[in-house]
Formats: sequence, C-alpha cells, structure tokens
Amino acid sequence: MTTAPQPAPMVKVTIDGQTTEMPKGSTIIQAAKKLGIEIPHFCYHERLSVAGNCRMCLVDLEGAPKPVASCAWPVADNMVVNTQSERTQNARKGVMEFLLINHPLDCPICDQGGECDLQDIAVSYGSDRTRFHEAKRAVADKDLGPLVETVMTRCIHCTRCIRFATEIAGVPEMGATGRGENMQVGTYVEQALASELSGNMIDLCPVGALTSKPYEFTARPWELKHTDSIDVMDALGSHIRIDHRDGKVMRVVPRECNEINEEWLSDAGRFSYDGLANNRLTHPMVRKGKKLTATTWQEAFAVIAEAAKGMRKNRIAGVAGNLLCAEDLYAFDHFMKDTLGTDNVDCRTNGLTIDGKVRAAYIMNTPIAELDKVDAVLLVGCNPRLEVPVLNARLRKGVLKRGMKVASIGAPVDLTYPVQTLGESPKLLDDILEGKHPFADVLREATNGVILVGARAVLTRPDSQQILDKAREVAEMYGFVRPDWNGFNVLHQATGRITGLDMGVYPQKDGYHSGGIAEAVKAGKIDLLVLHGESQRPASDFEGAKFTVFIGTHDSPYAQLADVVLPAAAYTEKAGLWANVEGRVQEGHMAVRPPMEAKEDWKIYRALSEVLGSKLPFDNQTQLRALIAKLNKAYAPENIGKVTRADWKHFGMSGSVREEGLSTSVPAYYLSNEIMRASKVMRDCQDLADARAAQTMKKAS
Amino acid sequence: MSKKKNPYILADADKCFPNLDGKGDWRLEAYRKRGGYEGLKEILQTEPAAIIDKLKASSHRGRGGAGFPTGLKWSFMPKPDGIKPNYLVVNSDESEPGTCKDRDILLNDPHTLVEGIIIGCHTLGAKASYVYVRGEYVDEADQLERAIEEAHNFGYLGEDVLGTGKTFNIYVHRGAGAYICGEETALLESLEGKKGQPRLKPPFPAGYGLYGCPTTINNVETVAQVPPILKKGVEWWTQFGRPNNHGTKIFSVSGMVNKPGNYEAPMSIPLKVLIDEYAGGVVGGWDNLLAVIPGGSSTPILSAEQCQDMLMDFDALRGAGTGLGTAAVIVMNKDTDVLKVMTRISKFYKHESCGQCTPCREGVGWVWRMMERLSNGEGTIDELDQLENVTRRIEGHTICAFADGAMWPVQGTLKHFRPLFEQRIKARNKTKVRKGA
Ligand code: SF4
Ligand code: FES
Repeated sequence: MTTAPQPAPMVKVTIDGQTTEMPKGSTIIQAAKKLGIEIPHFCYHERLSVAGNCRMCLVDLEGAPKPVASCAWPVADNMVVNTQSERTQNARKGVMEFLLINHPLDCPICDQGGECDLQDIAVSYGSDRTRFHEAKRAVADKDLGPLVETVMTRCIHCTRCIRFATEIAGVPEMGATGRGENMQVGTYVEQALASELSGNMIDLCPVGALTSKPYEFTARPWELKHTDSIDVMDALGSHIRIDHRDGKVMRVVPRECNEINEEWLSDAGRFSYDGLANNRLTHPMVRKGKKLTATTWQEAFAVIAEAAKGMRKNRIAGVAGNLLCAEDLYAFDHFMKDTLGTDNVDCRTNGLTIDGKVRAAYIMNTPIAELDKVDAVLLVGCNPRLEVPVLNARLRKGVLKRGMKVASIGAPVDLTYPVQTLGESPKLLDDILEGKHPFADVLREATNGVILVGARAVLTRPDSQQILDKAREVAEMYGFVRPDWNGFNVLHQATGRITGLDMGVYPQKDGYHSGGIAEAVKAGKIDLLVLHGESQRPASDFEGAKFTVFIGTHDSPYAQLADVVLPAAAYTEKAGLWANVEGRVQEGHMAVRPPMEAKEDWKIYRALSEVLGSKLPFDNQTQLRALIAKLNKAYAPENIGKVTRADWKHFGMSGSVREEGLSTSVPAYYLSNEIMRASKVMRDCQDLADARAAQTMKKAS
Repeated sequence: MSKKKNPYILADADKCFPNLDGKGDWRLEAYRKRGGYEGLKEILQTEPAAIIDKLKASSHRGRGGAGFPTGLKWSFMPKPDGIKPNYLVVNSDESEPGTCKDRDILLNDPHTLVEGIIIGCHTLGAKASYVYVRGEYVDEADQLERAIEEAHNFGYLGEDVLGTGKTFNIYVHRGAGAYICGEETALLESLEGKKGQPRLKPPFPAGYGLYGCPTTINNVETVAQVPPILKKGVEWWTQFGRPNNHGTKIFSVSGMVNKPGNYEAPMSIPLKVLIDEYAGGVVGGWDNLLAVIPGGSSTPILSAEQCQDMLMDFDALRGAGTGLGTAAVIVMNKDTDVLKVMTRISKFYKHESCGQCTPCREGVGWVWRMMERLSNGEGTIDELDQLENVTRRIEGHTICAFADGAMWPVQGTLKHFRPLFEQRIKARNKTKVRKGA
C-alpha cells in the first residue's frame, strides 16, 4: 500500500563556518544540533509540532532581512547561518527580557528551580537588572487535577503542554484562551485531563508553570540521588530514573529511550511512588491468636518449617503476583517445586490459559519501535490505551502521521484516535480469515500489518486457544509473519506475568493452575499456601488453607489471610530482570533499601529453603542469574536490554470460538497492583476516572 | 481627465467605484448600467496567463497595506492539480484604525467585488471564494450576501456561469472581532474554525493555504479593481500615478478635516491636494496642520513639514520612512494632543496582539504602558531611549508583521515629537520637586 519513503535529497548548510549535509525538509535548529551548535529555545521540542512562538531560537540567516526562527526555518542548499552575530545576540537578549518582565522572580520557592530552562538560558542572555517599571502580570492558577500543579503566572506561553495534549495524548482539552498579554493556558472548563499520560506535560513545561503535585515542595533537584531503572507499573518497560533522598523515593521521571517509551511515562509509572511508602510490611510477622505480631526472621522461618513438616506435597500450592522480577520468580518456582516438591504453582493469577512453551505466543513479536512502520492494525480484545498507555501514544502517532488504519474486535473503546470497531464477537476472525470482511482488504494491502491480541480479554477465555489459533492464522495468511517482519502480538499489562511465563512459573505436570488452586483452597484441599505478591484475584479466593504464608510488600487483605508474613522488596528496592511486552529483558536497579527488616524476595526463598533442609542451588545474585540465563536465553547477559526474536512455532488449537463478545474494559486501571493500590495519588485518579465514567453514563442515558 | 485644471480630480468614468459615496443604486441592474459585468464572458474565456500578464503590465499593487504586486502574487498560484482545490480568499476584515474603504465598497458598490472575485476565481483556478468580513460589519456582510444572491439569480455565480461551463461560488464568513484576523494566515486559521493566530511562513498560502490547499488572499479593493483594469486597459490605468504606483486608490481621510470621507483619487496625488480638494481642508487651515498618519494607524506619522509636498503613493511614503498602508489618512491639527493619540493607538495594539509570540505578547503592552506614562510626563528622559530600544527589540522578531505595525507609530512619534515628550517630563518633574520641597 505504501511505498518505502524515498530518502530526502541532501542539502549543504553552513552554520558559524561549519558545514554539514542535511536532508531537505529539516530545520536550521536540527542542522545546528548535528554540528554541536547549541541554539537556545523554549517552544521547540523534537517530538511535538513546530510552534515557532517563543522566538528564542532566532538566528541570522544570510540574505534574510530579519532574523529567522531556526526551529521552523527549513534548510536550503548553500544556506549560511550565523548564530553568534550581533543581530542574533540582540534578538536573544530581547526575547529573554520580554520573557522575564512578567515572569515572577520566585525561583527560590519554585519546584522547577535548578532544572528550569528559563533559569538556565537567563544565565547567558538575561540582564542582571530590570528596565521594567510597570506592574507585573498575575495569572489565576488552573485546576488540572491531582497530578499537575499549576502556577500560571510563570507560564511563558510556549504551548508545549497544549501541543502534547492534542498531539501525543490525544486529549484536545488543553488550549489557550484570551489574546495578547491576557492569553492564558488551561483547560477552559477547569478539569483534569482525561489522559493516562498527563504527567509528561510537567517534563515538557520549560518553566515551573506545570509541576508535579505529589512532588510539590518535597525536594530540591540538587539534593536528589538518581538511579536509572525500569518501570513495572505496566509491561512496557519504560526507562525511568528514580530520584531519591535519604533512602526515600521522592519522584520518578522518564528517561529517553526511542525504542521503548520515547521520552514519555504513564501517570501510573510516574505518580504511584507514594504507594511505596504507604502501608508497607516491615517485619516478619507470625499469627499469634488472632493477631499478626512482629517477630524475627528466624522465628518466622521456624514457624513455617514446623507447619511444613510432613506435609503432603499435593496439598501444597503457591501463586505469584504480577510485579515480580525474574530472580523472584525463579526462586519462588524452584522453592515451590524443588524444596516443597509441589507442582501446584502458578503466576497466571488473572486466569491466563496459555503457558510459556511457545514464547512467540505470549509476547509482542513486533519490536515496539517497529510499530512506526505499521500501516494496518487489528486489535483483538485489546485496550492499549489503558493496558500500555505509552504504547498507545505510538499507535496514535501512526494514525496521525502515516494514516495507519486501526480496526478493533471487541467492545467499542476510545483510544484517542479513529478506530473502526468491526464488532464484539471473536467470530469475526472467521470472516477475516475467509477474506469476506471488508477490513480483510486493508489487511491484505498492508505492507506491515500487526495484530494485537489483548491478554486480559482473550487469553482468559475458555476458547482462548481457539482465538489464538485464528489470530495466528490471520497473521500468517495476511503476510504479517515473514523473515523480516512478525506482526503477531500479545499485549500484557503486567510485566511479572511475561517474566513468570519465561521462568516457567506454572504447573509443569498435572498441578493446579491458579483457578484450580483457588478452588482447592475453598474445598479445603490445601494445607500450605504460599502467596507471593498480590494477585489479580481477590484475596478471599485464597481464604481457607490450613496454613498460609504471604511474601510481599504491602499490608493488605492478602497479608491478613496469612499465618506468617514475610516482608519483601518493591521494584525500587532491588536489582532485577524484567521482561517487557516485546520480551525484551531489562535490568532494574536498586535505588533505595527495602524498609527495615524487609529483604529481596529471592533471598528470602534462599534462606527459607535452607531452613527447610533443601537448599536452593545459588548463593548470590550472580549465580542465580546464571541459572536464569540457562533456563531462558533471553535472560543471558549478552541479551539484556535487547529484543530477541522468538522462534515462530505452531500454537493455539483449532476449533470454533464462542459468540460472546470480547471486553475491552480495564476495571480500576489506576489500582492495578499493590503499589498503585497503596498510592493515595492513584486512588484520587481512580475516583476521578469513576466520576467521569459515571458522568458519561448519565449523559448517554 | 476631464478637469484640465486639476489632474488630480478623478472623473466618474475613471473611477473603479463610481458609487462609493452611495448616492446611486448598489443593485446589480444599476451596476450593469455603469458598465458592470460587461465583457465578463470574454474575460472568462481568456487564458489566465494572459490576465496575469495584463495585471503585471499594469503594475497594480495590493490595496490591503503591503502593496505587493497583484499580478506577481497571482502568478504564484499553482494550477489546480485535480486533488486539492484552489481557493481565492478575500480579506475584508478591515480593522486598521482609520481605514473604512472596504466598508463603503461592500455597502455601496458590492458588485465590483463580486465581479472581481469571479474573474479572480477564473484566473486562479478556484471554484470557491471565501470573503472574510469583519464581525462588526453586520450590514456590510448582509449587503454583500444580497449582491451575491443577485449575481446568482443573473447567472454570474453558480454552475456554468454565462454558459462558460465554469463554476464559481462565493461564501461570506463573518469574523468575530479580532484585528489580527486581518493578517492573512490568521484569517485562514480563523476561517478554518481555529484560534485566529498567524501561521509560520514558510509555507506560504499559495502552496499551503486554506485547509492546506493553494490559496490566494487579496484585499477587497484589490480584487474589485481587477475588472476595470482588464476592461479599460493597462494604458488607462497607468495614466494615473507614478511608475510602479499606478492607478486609482481609495483614500479614507479622517481626523481634523472639514469633509472626512472615502475618496477615490489617482495614486501619487499630493497629500495637500487630497486634503484640500477632496476632504475640504484641515480644520483651521493648512497652517494649523500638526501631523498626518498617512496609511492607517500602523504607519509612522508625518510631520506637518513633511506633509507639505508629500506624494501619496507606495514609494514616496516609503522614502519618507513611512508607508501608504491602507491609505487611511488621519489628519491632526494643532488642537490635537498627538502624544495622547499615539498612546491610544498603542493601547489598541496591546489589545489586539494575538499573544502567540513572545516579543509581541509581552512587549506591546510594555510599550503602551511606557507611552501612557511618558506622554503624561511621568518618567525620565532616559526612558525615551529605552522606549525606542524596546520597540527595536520587538520589531522584526515576531511571527507576523503585527508587531512591526505596532512599533512603527511609536518610533515615528519619538522621531518627530521627542521634544514634546521631554517638555512634559521636565514640567512634571519640576512640579514634583516643588511639591517635594
Ligand atoms: S504551562 Fe508550561 S508548557 Fe504550557 S504553555 Fe505555559 S510554559 Fe509552556
Ligand atoms: S524555539 Fe524557535 S521560536 Fe521557540
């Protein structure tokens, strides 16, 4: 359908005496960047459309009567630009003066202080005294909800936030009202943005007009220590930087990674960190009478050893939650299977019906960055907007920039871009396979098509194997699976699940799967239940085992079920390997220590296994990682951080699928895991989302 | 040139807008009697290139303010590619203080515009034309709509115009009262239903205009003058005015004159003749003249001395450091507080800045506030230099020409009336000292 884009012809550009070749259509500022010449700017941002409104980037273009905006001016052959001329310098100083006359001098109480573009550039181009003797402007602050704090008097009207909201996030509510010096940036009707990406506006705002509400006044940037890590609030594996002070996480911000998250981060990833400090389990506890009481690790272990003594192996079971890293999951799996000798083990607490035998069947085979080449998308029971918000922004980019076509099988859903809803029933896949459906033509003509199957909606159904089979056939039939391209993708929300499947954390022989475990617990067939982390199932599902051990981070109904509670480490408190949606294994790092007595999860199993007399075969993380690498080559040191292509094998089972429609809803998105549930900020977001949903319902009826 | 005595008085037959004063009938029938729509069919059968050549030969320049050669502008339009339509957009957002010529065209001679649009559409390969009428011009927009309806009824608009097989339609769009929407790309944004803010250029409208399609934007008077040029010929047109400034032009004369109004006169007419012969002279006589703004509020002011032998055309005024602009001549006599007038103009620009780009958004208000103070003598003499410096920091640094237009009058005032500022500052400081003592 689309032909490969022709490379643009190159033109020669000279800036400050240095010459370079640039593709036609690029701008002066890009050429300068290539030459390592810095041009100060505020409104320009690589990932947003060009606004050209701050005028900070004016440069002297030979032959032009006035200085031109380098962020907007296209390069032309033999163009000569001077960024150091007097005219340029004067223009910069002028703009700086204008920006500052109405900007409050409140840097000492501004959260942006120390990492503010205006501050930085003012050092070079600002004056040390003012000539402005009039009254300064004051602007009323706007209420943008629980995440974004506004001090609009500081706004320099660069419109980055507006452009981000309209272009990337796909929520057009942000805008500017009023004219001239009365222009104000806001949402006009004063409402929180209905976006899962709104926090990115904070990063984009070059001044302190938009700052993080939860982080407000809590730290100064120069007091913070930084640890690079990986986000686990969804399965994208966004690159993040954890900023901490005195062993406390103060904020989480994205790092740039073009292959994964560009430079965005979901609100869940950015703002859930207060959940790391709330309601934590800090000491081992054992149940004494009705109450859980703090104790020592030795005693806790001893109590477990006592309970496990002589226990029948098929009356033991264990389930693992969705935030765990490979080390945790490997240790858990081997603790359960080797030390305790049971096969009743599962990480698929959301009721997933597939196992980890064919990796291509449970990951995205299309690397995320390759989505930028896609021209047709078929969603099957998938809501990327909530399941992986940043990925959804990439899909949106495809629709907006390349006219990518998107169709969905499943309940209608607002993904911020046009989606053709083909219907709700997976039976439609039959029509597409037979080529009968009109969208089949689009798929047939697509150069690079992808199919995205939602793990949540599809792989939890009784007919999941059949749907998977048909989805695979669609991918194969329409040329989505080729030596150079694999467009078959399964979309998970939880990174721990993908990692769990990779680690084989499910019954290998005839053990119970998670649903079976829940039933067995209810039926009184389980004597020892190990709950590691919180799961997708309600805690009440696991009530009734004779003896329950909970290993996790937060006090919760799960912990309250337990006879012994062992405090573990959250993702910011341990080094670990996590696989993301595309199966890319990435390393997260320890930013702060686990609270008080809490320990890294795998260490707990190692120690406990020794007490139980069947020691796990590793003494440190290096040995453990070697074992993991042996189990799954994607986890080998040379593959860390890379996408390893999964072998394409047969998967799925032929047979007919049910009529019943596919859901696309993600209930209580902002409360998806224990950290988010413990976060007050995320609760506020959920309340807001609920209120908004109720309002839409009311309007609809 | 009937009156040999005064070559500057235009005969009715030589006027592009014979009914500008509204004494006659505006209707189609009457317009036809005055020669309107005559020969239109032949023009519609002429090759567009030939029409453009004729316009180029006439050296007709745009009447909206910038004075860009019309033939050249029209030649920039690409031929319709069959995918994207071409558009002719007529700028009738006349908001420059002092300017009211398009208003009288729309009210009293609207068919001149309709006919001009038909020819323009033909030449530019457009089927549709949008006329963006200033929001406050309610009656004027109504009148234009009536004229369009008449033209439809007579087969000048719609499908198969005059049996030529061509389709032309005119749509009237009413603005919402923003001066900036007279800037051509802001006008396009507004027409598209967005916030009226000028676009970055390049790309230029001829390549990427309304809805991203090739678009030519012209002022009302510009478009309406095309039919007479084509019909009466280049020679007729070039007999008026100096080379490169040929033709006739409507001058909106206002202020301290005895007979303010819109007058169509030959280009290059001496300002003195315009004021004396057309506008009934300066109130209190020519010697009572203080200053003149020659081309709408954004053009720098002329001192009385400069007015003495100033010719009213693009090049002469440019040579004097100002411009013909929209040819809105604002006359001030010695009873006028010129600083107050200029401050008021400054305030107007502060009010109308779109707010998009920094120097204009922040600077224009600053300049007005300084004008407000300094024109009352509040401040220091140094601040006059600062004021000048600030205007230079705004000028030429913005997305569109609005800010330039907002700064020129201030610069002009400082150039000619700095002593007046200084006098007021000194006087005020003296009273302050006395009070303080
Ligand atoms: S709030 Fe920040 S990002 Fe938005 S326009 Fe103002 S300065 Fe720019
Ligand atoms: S960066 Fe170019 S105008 Fe703002």
